[in-house]
Order: sequence, then structure tokens, then C-alpha cells
Amino acid sequence: MRKSKALSALTFLALGLALLGLSNFVDELRVYQGAQIGVYIIAISSIILLTGYSGQISLGHGALMAIGGYSAVLSFTYWHLPVLLAFTVGALSSALAGFILGMAAARLSGPYLAGTTLALAVGLPSLANQFHILGGEQGLSFDIGEAPKWIADKTVGEFTQYKWFFWITVLCTLVTMWFIKNLLQSRYGRTWKAVRGNPSAAALSGINVGRSKVLAFTVSSALAGLAGALLAMLLGLVAPMAFTLTLSFTIVTGAVLAGVTNLAGSIVGALVLVVIPELTDAVATHLGGSQKITANLPGLITSVLLILTVIFAPNGPQLHKRMRASKKESSNTIK
Amino acid sequence: MLVHRSTKRGVFAATIAAVAALAVSALPAQAFTPHSEIGVTANTIKLGITVPLTGSAAPGYNKVPYAMKAYFDYVNDNGGVNGRKISLVIKDDAYSPILAKSVTNDLILKDKVFALVGTLGTANNEATTKFVNDKGVPRLFVNTGYSGFANAKKYPSTYALFPSYYMEAKVMGSFLAEKYAGHKVALLYQDDDFGLDALAGFGQAGTSFVAKIPYASGSQVDPTVIGKWITSIVASGADTVVVFGVSTATAAALGGAYKAGLAGKIQWILGSVGADPTTIKTLAPTALPLLNGAIAASFLPSASDANDEYVKQFAEINAKYNKGATLDNNVLVGMNAGMLTVQALRAAGTNLTRAKLMAAIESQGSKFASAGFAPLGWSKTSHVGYNGYWFGKLGADGSQTPLDGAGKYVLYTTDSSSGAVAKATIARPAMPAKGLPTN
Repeated sequence: MRKSKALSALTFLALGLALLGLSNFVDELRVYQGAQIGVYIIAISSIILLTGYSGQISLGHGALMAIGGYSAVLSFTYWHLPVLLAFTVGALSSALAGFILGMAAARLSGPYLAGTTLALAVGLPSLANQFHILGGEQGLSFDIGEAPKWIADKTVGEFTQYKWFFWITVLCTLVTMWFIKNLLQSRYGRTWKAVRGNPSAAALSGINVGRSKVLAFTVSSALAGLAGALLAMLLGLVAPMAFTLTLSFTIVTGAVLAGVTNLAGSIVGALVLVVIPELTDAVATHLGGSQKITANLPGLITSVLLILTVIFAPNGPQLHKRMRASKKESSNTIK
Repeated sequence: MLVHRSTKRGVFAATIAAVAALAVSALPAQAFTPHSEIGVTANTIKLGITVPLTGSAAPGYNKVPYAMKAYFDYVNDNGGVNGRKISLVIKDDAYSPILAKSVTNDLILKDKVFALVGTLGTANNEATTKFVNDKGVPRLFVNTGYSGFANAKKYPSTYALFPSYYMEAKVMGSFLAEKYAGHKVALLYQDDDFGLDALAGFGQAGTSFVAKIPYASGSQVDPTVIGKWITSIVASGADTVVVFGVSTATAAALGGAYKAGLAGKIQWILGSVGADPTTIKTLAPTALPLLNGAIAASFLPSASDANDEYVKQFAEINAKYNKGATLDNNVLVGMNAGMLTVQALRAAGTNLTRAKLMAAIESQGSKFASAGFAPLGWSKTSHVGYNGYWFGKLGADGSQTPLDGAGKYVLYTTDSSSGAVAKATIARPAMPAKGLPTN
């Protein structure tokens, strides 16, 4: 077990280095999109952890991302914290909000929980218009500055700000994925799965169901907060419009496309979310470049994909294949 | 254990896919450009604009880019600029700074435009400033009057065109003192840098209000918000209301006031941004009785002034190239910015670069022909465009006539600091023949 852990740590490290190296050779637009994918991976993982493992639903993760984003920007601007520390503040504030929300969530289930979290996603961002420190509709700017010279000097080509964003996002994403992967394999991960599978059975086995649910909600919120802070960095500002209902739905969509019980799928989900608008843009340009097509086609395609996934592979394309394979296996063996 | 291993395999496969997709997609993005400057080829110039085409601020503003495009098409059909045809990439930002940021990203990195022209909105332009500055993309004639954009140090590649909201508020302050002394005046303003710029200008002018009512951008579509405005106006006892918001907010305020039975009881004074009669008429037909007699500030001639040589020429081009869109302030704004852009591109010469374009505006821009009544102030040290306004009365048909009678435009000029407000005479260059610059 220890050996495999070391191996997977090495894999993560190699992957990080490969991605950072790659960023020196690709177009700046792709670097930016790479960073977007990173943000989506973290956001989708937070849903996978919550829904796929602990069996709770949240349609309000956009609001938790907003809490993370605003806290990071405020602590960066007013306390002059280093960026990574500001992100930590974002994640912790969001975790605190998630903890409180989780206490309510543990008492609710199904549509009631969905409704509660949805209300949060609708209402929370407009708070920014009530308090002047939050910058209103226009938002607060968030400029983390350029990469330090000792990094910028050692790479090929110009070290653009987007490349710096990409590096930070890659670091955060890999660390986060490493953390979640280990967490899900730990006692907590098993507890959550037990609760999701059958709460009564879990309780009979001595698991504190409520506490386990609140913990899952808190961890998931922290991840969402981190994703929100990274999103704020990419956008260069936080504003209510950055954390719309659409964002909440988008990451849930990404999670469903990924297969909600499949952590690795978050990469697929994030890729799909970023690549589809890119593809439709190319298609629309070929069709004559209508702004209306470009604006609406990604939503349409994502919706169709979502419907198809739910009908044909409710547990995600990957798990679906795996289940089919194991079914075949079990039907072939005589018990 | 089976699940664990296959999860790991999944992570591996997915990351390989991610890396491969990233690498492959990088290839087509690096297009081959024969010319040394981004967005310019031997026979094309690519420009970009961001505007709200959807959402609460879209009505009215969504006409600006198409009017600009119509003007460019007209110029293209008449030989283009130094043998190059202009193409305009139009992007919708829904009046959201966040979306503005992402579509500007696309314009600069994906569409690889040579310059941005007439990008709309104070907050939207602020949101994209860092990136625009980093890339050194010229941002011409921004469609906002935020005084900050004339600061050449902070926004080195940005050129303001509209007189600033600060100037407008100062001018309006002196107008109020002159014509509405002793009246109880309330102010309705958009609560972001747009409105705050105006508040600072009113402060400088020493104007006092019986009520200052802020509204969040976008909230003007919410009936309860409009209800609150009206309640505040009535409670303040105001007989005169100044609106410093977008046209959709003006329409909402007038519509709400009409419903509350305030027709004829309040003199409305509209800032230049929120005074497009066509937009207001379309959005709030009930507001017509209130619009009739309202006073509005403007720096362009009235779109209804058929005798104005610029309006006449733009109307002709509009009829032919803009699918018969009604000529209004928004169309004028779009065509006027288009014509200034063409002159700037011409002045930059055949070997077009971003640096030359900006140098051309700074050295020759103040002499460009444009529909605005105030002179243009661009120079090596200043990015200020127009510096003055005239006031006119709106009619129920949407026409705007100068207060002192038809054709007698009185221009008030000032600056974005403590300078005095002066009445000036109008002296603008003549419209180039057929609306085609020859500079």
C-alpha cells in the first residue's frame, strides 16, 4: 500500500511537471483554457465528493464558490495576504458557510435539500449590492500580479500572466485531487459511502450519520471555495454575475457527465465544459459566425449530452462501461 | 481493490486525454499572419467590439455595433482604408463585467483583433483594462463617459470619446443653478463608477439634492425596485428629477412615475446616457407623456435634426447598409465612432501598426471630422475626447430641440477637474463628402 502511494505521488508530480512544461509551448489562449479546466476539475470534484460519495445534493455550489472568491479577494486586498494564503482563507470561509449549511442539509434530503441550496445560489450573490465593501454589481478587482522573477526567468518564452494563472491552478488542482483521492480511500470516504448506500445500516454499524453528512458538506464547500477563489483570479475580479445560477448548474452538469461517483471523471467533465463552447464557436464561424448561434449552441449541446447521460449511463460513461463488463463477468461464472 | 485500480487507470487515461486535447488544440490557434501586426493583413483589418446584445441593458445599445458595422461596410464598398477592408467582430457581454472579460479574452487571443473600438460600459471596460494594457491593444473611443479612461497613465492604450460623466454632472449642475434655482431636485443614479463619477461632478459643481437614489445596474427590470424609486421621489417632495442611468432605467423610471400619477408634476432631466427617445418609447410606451418636455443633455446633434449634415449623411448610409434600422442616438453613436476609426486608421498610414495608430490619434485626432459639437481633445498628453454638452427639450415624437429654439445649440464646456463651466460656440469640421474621410 505504501509503495502504491509513493507511486501515485510520483505520478502526480510528473503530471504537474509535464503540464507546467507544456504551458511553455502552447498558445496563450490554451493556457487560459487549461486554467479554466483546472478550476472546473476542483468544482466538479466538490460535487462528486458530496453527491457521489455522501449522497447529498447541492444546486447551490455557485454560492459557495462566491463566498470563497469574495473572501479570497477581500483578504488579499485588505490584509495583503500572499495569494495562496488568500485562497486558503477563501476555502476556509466557504468551509465555515458549508458547515452551517451542512447542519441544515443533514436534516433535509432529496428535493428539499436541492431547494434549499438552490435558494442560496439565487439569493447570495445579490448580497454584493447591499454592502459597499463588496463592490456592488461592478465587483471588486483582483490582480495577483505577475509571476516572481525567479520563476519567469527560468522558462521558455514570455511568462504571461495567464501562464502564471495556469501554474497556480495546476498546483492547486493537483494538490486538491491528491487530497480528495486519499480522503476518499480513508475511513471518512468509506463512512460516506456507507451512509449513501444505506443510512440506517450505517447508523446500526455505529456511524454517526448526521456528523458524517455535515463533514462531507464542509469539505465539499471548502473545495468549492477554493475553486471560486481560483475563478476570481482567472477573471481578475469578483462580481455577482460571476457566480450565477448557471454556474451552479454547470458544475452539477459537469459532475453528471463525469459520473457522479467517479473522481477521475471530473477531468472529463471539466474538459467537456471547456471544449464544447470552443467547438461550437468553430462550427458557428463556419456557418457564418452568428453571435446568436455561438451564444446558444453550447448550452443546447451540453443539455443534450446531459439528457443522454442520464438515460443511457446514469453513473457516468466510464462506470457504465465498467458495470457492463462486470455484469458479463458475473454471468459467465457459475455460482 | 478492483475499483481502486480502475479509478487509477481512469485518472491516468483522463489526464492523458486532457494533455493531448490541450496540445492538439494549440495547433490551429497559431494562424499564419503574413503581416507583422496582429489583426492586419495585406487587405484586411480586424477590429472588435463588446456590447450588451442581450440582458437588461441591451435595448438600444444593441443597435450601436450594427450601425458601426454598416458604416464600415459602406467604407469597404468605397475602397476601404488604404486598400484594406475593415471587419468588425461583435461580441455580446450582456452588460456584465465578467462576460466582458471573457469575450475580450476571445477577441484578443482567439480572434486576434488589431484594436478594440467602442467597447461599451464603465465597469465592463474597467474589468478588461488589465489585460488590454498588458497586451497593448488600442482601445478606441470607448462607449462610456467615465472620466478615469482619459487618464493616459492608467489606461495608456485607451481613448475616451464621450465627454466624461464628471463633466456632464458639472455642466448639469451649472444648468440647474441657472434655470432651476430654488427647485427641489432629486437624483437617480446607477450605483457603480458611472454614477459615482457623476456624484463627484455634482459635488464639484456644488449641486444639492433633496434625495439621492442609487440603483444597482440591472435592477431596473425589477418592478419592486422601480416602486422604491418612485416612493423615494414622492417622499422627498422633489419637483425635478435628474436621471443618471442607462436608457432602460430612464424608461423604467418614467413608466413607474406615470403609473403613480406623477405625469405633469415633475420636470425630468436626463443624462446623455439615458436619453435615447427611441429606446424609451419602445420600452415604456406609457411614459410618452412624461418624455414630452423632458430635458436631456447631449453632445451629438439630435437624430431627428434632418438639417444637420452629419445626421443627413448617416441617415443615408443607415438606410442602405443597416437593414432599415430606425436612425436614433445609438445609430449616430455607432456611425460616428466608425467614422473616427476610419480617420484614425487612415492617419496611421499604409504600414499599419498598433503604435502608429495610437500615435496618429495623438498627433492628428483633434482635427478629425465628427458629428459631436464639442472639440476633440486628444494629444500626446491627453486622452480626453469631447468636452461639452448642449441641452434640449424632448418632444413626444422623440425629437430633441435646443432649449432656446430650433437650430440654436448652446454648448457648455468644462473639464474633469475644478475648471469652470463655460458657454462656447460650436465649431466642428465639415462632414467629408459622401461621408468618406479623405484625411
